[in-house]
Amino acid sequence: MASILTALKEAGETILKVAEKKGLNEAEAYLVSNNVLTIRLVNNAVFESKGVHDIGVGLRVIKGNMLGFSSTADLSKKSLNKLVDAATSTAKARKLPFKYSFPKPRKIPKVAGVYSRKLAELSSEEAVELAYDMVEASTAHSKKIKDNAGVLNVVSYETSVLNSHGVSAKNRGTFFEASLSATAKRGKSVSEGSDATAGRSLKELKPQDIGEKAAMMAVSGLKSKKLKEDTYTLILDYEPAQGVIGYISYLVSPMIARLYFPLFLDKLDKKIASPQVTLIDDPLMPNGVGSAPMDDEGTPSKKQIIINKGVLKKFVYDSFYGAIDKKKTTGNAIRASFAVGVSSFPGKNYNGEPIPFPMNPYFKPGKWKRNEIIEETNKGLLVRRFHYTRLTNPTRGDFTSVLRMGLYAVKNGEVVGAVKKARLLDNLLNLLQNVDAVSDKLVVAGSWGDYAHTPVIRTKAHVAPID
Amino acid sequence: MYFAKAFKVNSKNAYVNRMEWSMKEDLALFAVEHASELGADYVDMRLEDHYNELIVVANGKVQRGVINRRRGIGVRTLVNGAWGFQSTTDLTKKGIRQASKIAFKLAKASSKHVPKPVKLAPTKAHKVSYKAMMKNDLENIAFEEKLKQIITWEKKLHTSKKIVRGLAEYSGLKINKVFVNSEGANIRFSNSLTWVSLKADSKRAATTQFYDKTIGHCGGYEIYGKNDMEKVASETGHKAEKLLKAKAVKTEKDATVILDNDYAALLVHEIIGHPSEADRVLGREAAWAGTTWWAGKIGERIGSDYLTAYDDPTIKGTLGYYRYDDEGVEAERKVLIQKGVLKGHMHSRETSAIFGVEPNAGMRAITFEYIPLIRMSNTFFGEGNWKKEELIEETKHGYLISCMRHPSIDDKRYNWTISAQEAYEIKNGELTTHLRDVALTSIAPKFFKSINAVTKKVEILPLPGCGKGDPMQALYVGNGGPYLRGVATVLGVK
Repeated sequence: MASILTALKEAGETILKVAEKKGLNEAEAYLVSNNVLTIRLVNNAVFESKGVHDIGVGLRVIKGNMLGFSSTADLSKKSLNKLVDAATSTAKARKLPFKYSFPKPRKIPKVAGVYSRKLAELSSEEAVELAYDMVEASTAHSKKIKDNAGVLNVVSYETSVLNSHGVSAKNRGTFFEASLSATAKRGKSVSEGSDATAGRSLKELKPQDIGEKAAMMAVSGLKSKKLKEDTYTLILDYEPAQGVIGYISYLVSPMIARLYFPLFLDKLDKKIASPQVTLIDDPLMPNGVGSAPMDDEGTPSKKQIIINKGVLKKFVYDSFYGAIDKKKTTGNAIRASFAVGVSSFPGKNYNGEPIPFPMNPYFKPGKWKRNEIIEETNKGLLVRRFHYTRLTNPTRGDFTSVLRMGLYAVKNGEVVGAVKKARLLDNLLNLLQNVDAVSDKLVVAGSWGDYAHTPVIRTKAHVAPID
Repeated sequence: MYFAKAFKVNSKNAYVNRMEWSMKEDLALFAVEHASELGADYVDMRLEDHYNELIVVANGKVQRGVINRRRGIGVRTLVNGAWGFQSTTDLTKKGIRQASKIAFKLAKASSKHVPKPVKLAPTKAHKVSYKAMMKNDLENIAFEEKLKQIITWEKKLHTSKKIVRGLAEYSGLKINKVFVNSEGANIRFSNSLTWVSLKADSKRAATTQFYDKTIGHCGGYEIYGKNDMEKVASETGHKAEKLLKAKAVKTEKDATVILDNDYAALLVHEIIGHPSEADRVLGREAAWAGTTWWAGKIGERIGSDYLTAYDDPTIKGTLGYYRYDDEGVEAERKVLIQKGVLKGHMHSRETSAIFGVEPNAGMRAITFEYIPLIRMSNTFFGEGNWKKEELIEETKHGYLISCMRHPSIDDKRYNWTISAQEAYEIKNGELTTHLRDVALTSIAPKFFKSINAVTKKVEILPLPGCGKGDPMQALYVGNGGPYLRGVATVLGVK
């Protein structure tokens, strides 16, 4: 680790010197080393094992009141020189109508449990076996399980951020996500189930649990009934509740809100959800799936309340959007893939400017036990998976998701049986305002590169059957 | 020796100046050679050099102005019938050796759990160099100049105070790629792509609407000279404004609907393109986007005689253009559906061997960091012989559904709901009431069988963000078709 970070830091120092020599007022170098290992499972077998080793640098420069950005994966001196020129060329004509400066150095706190040497050094052989354990556990659960597909992604990253004000901070982390989809068959009946989790250390990875839970869900859906189109009480289990957190995260980013999802833009300090809903961003949470001691501009992380008892209290900021809105950075500069809704690269991304985004958001747990929420529901649906979830009108909040698997009827406080595929068609604000119960325990849930700690929530929404 | 031959490029096709690549091409040979020496049964390698530009302007302010340069290598190995892949940006011999070694090790480790070893359908080892047609190189226009233009286009979206938000996003990509494999292929492709997406959000009292338009192609900056972009932007703004006065549509079951080419583009993408990917047909995407309802139905009738669909990478100027895929297979027009009969899928060399068909060049990766997947190139509905005016004139009661918005599709691509930007009610052969917040819903085979008229003119539109895979790869494709008439349920979207 020391050698990579030292090399990154040296490259960063070179860039700052070149920038100074070329007369730039400020420069900021964000250097990354990513290692990503992916084991992909399909048709009960290992389909492909793939790795990425990626080193590069993103450079922001300020000249006068102009801001520029460029990046390169070539850390040779010649290339770094060209990088400074490219960043300067993007700055031309990008005049900022406000005063902007990169963050100043501040003390970085420590966060426990975000780096695991064992995970970082996991061998390809061990990774393949761990991934395949999910398939074996699923198949062993029932003879009705006929197919399994899934993934194990293991990511380790090291970053270094340096700027002209003297910020010189380094960071490292590890992350895994593991998921499995199982298909059960009995006669003509076919049903799917899935389970997924993510974590920061190897000890959190329990492939047998994932395989077994996916298989259980698949088998439980073999006998299912079609529902009638109606507005239902919905118990959103961990994964769909995370799906809701995922969309709120987009909505409280001032950049994404301005460009793509303006639903919350006019709702600061307004009631957007029921009093049961409090959304916290806590990157200092030990072992947090999105925890980090600092953001990707080198600003120290901090815990903050975004939605307090249903009232939108703040948007999260990096230094740039903070300057636009005359607010201080909240330590939420994320260097992630740019495309909204598409997490195309699981490591750190040096190819783009920072995006303000919640780091480790979660709904504050309530007082209910998960089983109490079910017991206290007279008639409703237990939703265990969202699929193809979309905010179809990002101004109005139209919200849709395909309830592809893991959908159950709840009657008189009991889960009485599986329900065939359906589509949720409602409005995100309605969904949030109808929340009347939040469970007491946080569980890591999500899918396809997007995970959070979340409780179970109960709400109401319109659901229609899918033929 | 075998590998050295791979670098003798057909001089007739050697359009690309060797210096232009500014890449260490010998590394490609070295990577393949090294992995082969380790014992890989097959190796291929992509050495890529990417230049990307991004400009985002919203409400007169530049939100993003980016130039990226990156280059690296992706090595794919087949060992004991299992795939391994490793990419690196470390283009030293040490870095390449390490990448080849890891790709080999990953494949070997995987092979323990591959009950049916991968077989590759044979293909010719092509040695060719080609490039996308480009009149005005993206890098020949100063970034500052582009920025000024995007700011102007965004400004033009604001046609009145009713436009509360404007957004203009420009992307430019230049990709130099070398593909070599252990069978002797050597293919160089110099590609250039660019697109601009314009969006206007309008508001009047409690009513909010939006309208967007994307212009793009495979080529250089000349497209923005061919299109009057200021006019395109102001038309987009006017459309968003006009939608505020449009009427909300009422739900009508089994209505006659005429789809324009823009709406047809998203429909063909979602309910024909994705389910035609052979990996998806084989259940290999089950854990992610899903499967395909028509698995095992090749040769069966799934639609009316008016339904024909193709995937064709060979169409110059489209976002899905290429002549050789990322497995070195020569591209051709793939017939997916012909006169209502399911004819074939998009394939990799591996899935071609499983299906017992010729490989048809369906494999692509977004960058060297990703393993190739079966992807759409330009997927579109085939032409008919109607004129657009005739379609409308001969419709007593129906709807003209115009321009794609959002899809909501089930995992088998069977049940679909896709919203449109606008629609018009048709009464007695004439367009009448302007409608907003409209979506169509149907079942794929039911809709396919209902298609009863198709126009002659096919238009292929740019779709720059098609997602697939894990880690996700968002790829640029072309989609489109002619106007089609069929039957579907018209939904009012709340």
